[in-house]
Amino acid sequence: MTKKQLIFIKGTKEGLVLRLDDQCSYAELLDELAKKVSDEGFEGQAEVLLHLGYRYCNDEQTKEIISCVQQTEHLRVTKIQSDVMTVEDCNRRLLENQSETYVGIVRSGQVITALGDLVVVGDVNPNGRVVAGGNIFVLGRLKGIAHAGSTGNRDAVIAASWLEATHLIIDSVVETMTDELTVLSEQPEMECAYLHTNGSIAIDRLQDLRLLRPNLSTFKGGS
Amino acid sequence: MGEAIVITSGKGGVGKTTTTANLGTALALQGKKVCLMDTDIGLRNLDVVLGLENRIIYDLVDVIEGRCKVHQALVKDKRFEDKLYLLPAAQTVDKNAVNPEQMKELVLELKREYDYVLIDCPAGIEQGYKNAIAGADKAIVVTTPEISAVRDADRIIGLLEQEETIDPPKLIINRIRQHLMNKGDALDINEITTHLSIDLLGIIADDESVITSSNKGEPVVMNPANRAALGYRNIARRILGESVPLMSMETPKTGVFSKIKSIFSK
Repeated sequence: MTKKQLIFIKGTKEGLVLRLDDQCSYAELLDELAKKVSDEGFEGQAEVLLHLGYRYCNDEQTKEIISCVQQTEHLRVTKIQSDVMTVEDCNRRLLENQSETYVGIVRSGQVITALGDLVVVGDVNPNGRVVAGGNIFVLGRLKGIAHAGSTGNRDAVIAASWLEATHLIIDSVVETMTDELTVLSEQPEMECAYLHTNGSIAIDRLQDLRLLRPNLSTFKGGS
Repeated sequence: MGEAIVITSGKGGVGKTTTTANLGTALALQGKKVCLMDTDIGLRNLDVVLGLENRIIYDLVDVIEGRCKVHQALVKDKRFEDKLYLLPAAQTVDKNAVNPEQMKELVLELKREYDYVLIDCPAGIEQGYKNAIAGADKAIVVTTPEISAVRDADRIIGLLEQEETIDPPKLIINRIRQHLMNKGDALDINEITTHLSIDLLGIIADDESVITSSNKGEPVVMNPANRAALGYRNIARRILGESVPLMSMETPKTGVFSKIKSIFSK
């Protein structure tokens, strides 16, 4: 009986694609992988995309596979693709992508937290705090503290009908809205704050958000 | 069964005690049976403002610890026949001497006999505040046209809104100085109400006679000619369900033109 091949190597424009079998045992796969990597006479530098198929690998296993491939200096793993994820990951991702809505006024001393996007229908008063893993949208006056992208999302934005917050925080960049700040406008109506490529928080008109964060719009199609 | 209204503000010195004394007096003048309750244990002064300091025998803590019956501790204000009573706070212990459950029970007992139980809340948001709001059905937040007072009012409103047993709080803006508002040097009424976005129950003009009458132990509301007294009387009527328009804060113009006009109109 001929042994089933566990690893398929394919060359593409972007580099090598290693498709790993997802039915065999993990140990078997690792053995085969080590053999394959050392046997084939790779030359030069190749970027590798690992395709795990329907195999679930935890962080340690993924690391092990990567180091196995990178035994030879000719290969460098740039991307790992998998068709499966745990329920836990899935739920977290669902929560992170959903939008939560708070209707009412966030008053002094109150903290409103969301894992994903946060929509506040009402004012955020001074010393009121809104925190979101994603973006923050305030349909009202934002006069308190807003923290968007709290779990490390540097693309997150803060948009408000009236942006006159005392503190703006995106990821871990804090901006105190003092009067010296040139970005503060006289009429802070319909504005948004985002993390500029220079690493500091910038404020722009809400109309520019479309260009600044094209991925923000999830609405596809239309005329 | 009457209703219990807590008068609170967060910040100290905005006029909680004065407002309690005057609203209570105004309601008593309207013929309601009113009990004023001072919950500022350790720093009582509602009794002083009402001029009843010398008549205190027992206090709130005595009632709660069972050393006397409620009616023994209540001090009757003789100026209003059988309408106005005060339950004074204790002065020798602190706010931890009572807990919210005991207060709730006490307020319930008072509500059975009185049309209105007005609870004077201490400043702050700690134990004293929690005791004061425990038995209340309604809440009045007092503020002044100062940023610090408005910020604290915002905090207190946030806390009150989380209490399910208390109706949405109403606002009284105290110590209004119209000339400062006109110049834009003080927050104006509109700014305050949109910032706090709760119903405005009334406005009280800043008037020196509030201080002088408090020092004499006579609530200013007893003098019907006074501007501040009118404000308190209007609020009392609104509490009773009447719809009374907000009084104008403008003082009559005394410019040259209006003087000439008044000469001709004689």
